[in-house]
Amino acid sequence: MTQLIWLHEDCLRATHRLFTEAASADTARPVFIWDDPYMTAMHYGLKRRVFIYESLCELPVDIYVGDTIETLRDLHSQWGVDEIVTGKTPNPALKAMMQNLRAEVKLSAIADAPFVQMDSPPDLRRFFKYWNKAKKNAFLYDGRP
Amino acid sequence: MQKQPTQFPDRAALVAHVKALSPGVSDDAVSETRGGRAAAEALLAAIDPTAYGHSRNYLDGAVTRLSPYVRHAIVSLNELRNQALELGDGKAIEKFIQELGWRDFWQRIYAQNPDWLWHDIEPYKTGFAASDYADTLPQDITAGETDSAAMNHFIHELKTSGYLHNHARMYLAAYIVHWRRVKWQAGARFFLGHLLDGDPASNNFSFQWVASTFANKPYFFNLENLQKFAGMQAPCDFHTNKCFGGSYDDLALTLFPHMAAL
Repeated sequence: MTQLIWLHEDCLRATHRLFTEAASADTARPVFIWDDPYMTAMHYGLKRRVFIYESLCELPVDIYVGDTIETLRDLHSQWGVDEIVTGKTPNPALKAMMQNLRAEVKLSAIADAPFVQMDSPPDLRRFFKYWNKAKKNAFLYDGRP
Repeated sequence: MQKQPTQFPDRAALVAHVKALSPGVSDDAVSETRGGRAAAEALLAAIDPTAYGHSRNYLDGAVTRLSPYVRHAIVSLNELRNQALELGDGKAIEKFIQELGWRDFWQRIYAQNPDWLWHDIEPYKTGFAASDYADTLPQDITAGETDSAAMNHFIHELKTSGYLHNHARMYLAAYIVHWRRVKWQAGARFFLGHLLDGDPASNNFSFQWVASTFANKPYFFNLENLQKFAGMQAPCDFHTNKCFGGSYDDLALTLFPHMAAL
């Protein structure tokens, strides 16, 4: 199976779970798509872009320039990719791109190691409601008993 | 399709390459903060979560400067917490772990309610309606030429370094929203354009907390508080920061005249 690892701005770490959970991590081809209109929509100036590019230079990743969806589609067909593996994110713009790609290719979004594990969803109406529940495991290694 | 280079003779060459790839960018400032895991690991090795607990509100406190790396998952909250556990226990590192919790809290809200990002979660509790606030930032704020020397100092630091201490962010956000009566969204966009760690959730929900659209009351401060926590790092004398002078009660009457009591 040929996998393509899609690194986006919310998963710029070589020890992110998406690398370890990609079945063919040894042969998969990690890519980052440098998408200028996306970064402009995110309000990113030159400072942020330099920071991101410098971070990419230390990662095992190939950088391509273009519209994210179109470029991933092109790589998908050129390389005969069976599955795109990427990092899970709350970012609605990236989630919409993932949804768009899923119409044509299998795509898995892998969550990073959680800060704290909870047996049921916390109340998010105010921080201290969340914290009263989260603090039970937040002081434990890997956030779990 | 052509792969982009990842090796450059020096940083100036990398910056020139990024500029060439970024027609949507109009500014020229580059932070001294370097991207990448190596820089993050050097900071990670130097964290002092116990000192952080009692000094974090001071602008020269023992903060980690890891936020840009956490923002892009170059360092995970999990490994940062695990590192803190190696260096201290329970009560001594409580504040440090709790601040990591704030990041987790904002990310969870973001995932659950992405439509809250740019919309008021609740009404302002300032005695004003949202329509009473300006839509855009005045030019003197974006230029760092306001009547407050401290705010000008923070604006200059934000624009050049891409970093502000959290307390400085709160001061500047409160100044924008409450002293200048500008919508929090305008301030949030300004911050996102400059902060290396600018995260839609942490940035915008924190702005909403300051504004009171995601809190029970507005956050504001007075000159005494500013001098206590920022006095050694920013120009905080009365004559160049007159608008912050007075007690909290006096300032509340000026800033929120339609409120019966805070």
